[in-house]
Amino acid sequence: MKALTEQTHYEVLEISRQATPAEVERAYRLAKVAYAEGSVAMYSLFDEKELKEQRTQIERAYNVLSDAAVRAEYDQTLPADAELATLPPRTFGLRPSALVSSLSTAEASSQLDELVHFDDAEESVWDGPRLRRNRIGRGIEIEDVAVLTKVSSTMLQFLEADRFDALPATVYLRGFVDAYARCIGLDPKQVVPSYMQRCERARQSAIPRKIG
Amino acid sequence: MDHDEQGSLPFCSTEKTPRIIAVGGGKGGVGKTFFVVNLAVALARLGHEVIVVDADLDGANLHTVLGVGNPSTSLADFIAYREKDLAKLVLDTAIPRLHLIAATHANLASAQPGHFQRVRFLKDLRKLRADVILLDLGAGMQPALMDYFLAADDGVIVMTPEPTSIENAYGFLRAAFYRCIRSAVSSETIRTLVTDAMDQRNDLGIRSPYDLLREIVAKEPQEAEKIEEAQRAFRPRLVVNHVLSAEEVRLGFAVRSACQKYFGIDAEYLGYVNEDTAVRKAVTAGRPFVEAFPRSDAAVCIGRMARKIAAVLVEHAALAPSLPKVQVAENYESAD
Repeated sequence: MKALTEQTHYEVLEISRQATPAEVERAYRLAKVAYAEGSVAMYSLFDEKELKEQRTQIERAYNVLSDAAVRAEYDQTLPADAELATLPPRTFGLRPSALVSSLSTAEASSQLDELVHFDDAEESVWDGPRLRRNRIGRGIEIEDVAVLTKVSSTMLQFLEADRFDALPATVYLRGFVDAYARCIGLDPKQVVPSYMQRCERARQSAIPRKIG
Repeated sequence: MDHDEQGSLPFCSTEKTPRIIAVGGGKGGVGKTFFVVNLAVALARLGHEVIVVDADLDGANLHTVLGVGNPSTSLADFIAYREKDLAKLVLDTAIPRLHLIAATHANLASAQPGHFQRVRFLKDLRKLRADVILLDLGAGMQPALMDYFLAADDGVIVMTPEPTSIENAYGFLRAAFYRCIRSAVSSETIRTLVTDAMDQRNDLGIRSPYDLLREIVAKEPQEAEKIEEAQRAFRPRLVVNHVLSAEEVRLGFAVRSACQKYFGIDAEYLGYVNEDTAVRKAVTAGRPFVEAFPRSDAAVCIGRMARKIAAVLVEHAALAPSLPKVQVAENYESAD
């Protein structure tokens, strides 16, 4: 276990030495939130001075690793065996002894993606809860969607809860679903028809039949 | 090869050692039982033989969640030597491939098992016929729960995004971590040092695992290597329950980072479970929600983790005979 000041920039950001620029970026964003002032995950372990020190190191690491030329220069200064130290085991259940020899860079760095962009493909229907799951999984808050799509968060919440009774007429709703899907990085060509079909069906069955 | 010989091949259930996954987290009400039951159902639906064990002798309720009315046998019978064969306590549930060892009828005067009872329990647990055994540790951090957590192949810590829950999860981790490194060292001086360091208001100025390790390196450097090995082997899995927003998803990454930077351990963020109204409906109906509402948000989240674990179970079946875990618990003689 190394003191903070002894850690390499890769260890500070908890990434492998082969991390892509996108992985550096993501690790930095997560670390920034994790060690932010008043962080729920940190206040009971680190005091404010230690947290500040962590933040300084995170910024320093990011400044070096986010610039390809500076990063290449920095890599030259690291000992060759530093790579092993920066590759913690990542796969559920594998024991460390088995890992040292078998660990590939892909395994070491893919955990974020594995968790955030989970495999949702086995489902065919796009309903509100699935949209919400994808939004949360992709790290996007409902308020962010509201700002980008200019659809109110209340309306977006109705959309995610399949509250067809509270959502606007088809012609408007189609546009909302399209904007929502685009905003969280989904293909509207798949999402919109599926969502609208369910909505139409639900609305039709909700129309009270005339008696006589 | 005749039929009988086929029956005793190494991959038959008679020969297979089950993988043991312990689920704890310190704080009550974060959803450990909910997680254990639904993960168990999800794993059983994926075709695995699963036994859930209610190790929470003080507050057993797994049987209720699984719809097993008033269990005829209980882990308490084994602890109190009323039943010597743990396998006889395994009850069937309404769900195919899912079995239960309940924990009712505990002697409330001495519900917590002593050291030898714990070792016996852990040894016999490995002999049960199953692919995976899920241990519900319940709340708290009694020595028995810590032993089970450390002796299991995998230890899962369930937390919610509330500060109180995170604090308790760290408390649980700290207790498990110190216990783990104390059992890894052989020097009495260092063992005592670790015990003293467990008191957070100790006079030695040891405030964090890093301080402790620095102290150990200074005192007996040859012990430091053993501790590093124990640190590497200690790999808790983190689960965040009741997630309402993307920010709360990120909390799991933050806790994982804290494990790395504060404890020097590489925790894995196993996954999160979205807050879901279907859960309450299922509990009221007395059914695991993964079964009652398989397409609900929470069920999809649990299913994802189940698939991750199932992938490992296949691998485990091949590796299992070489896993040397029960021994860890036997080193705890003076650890209470």
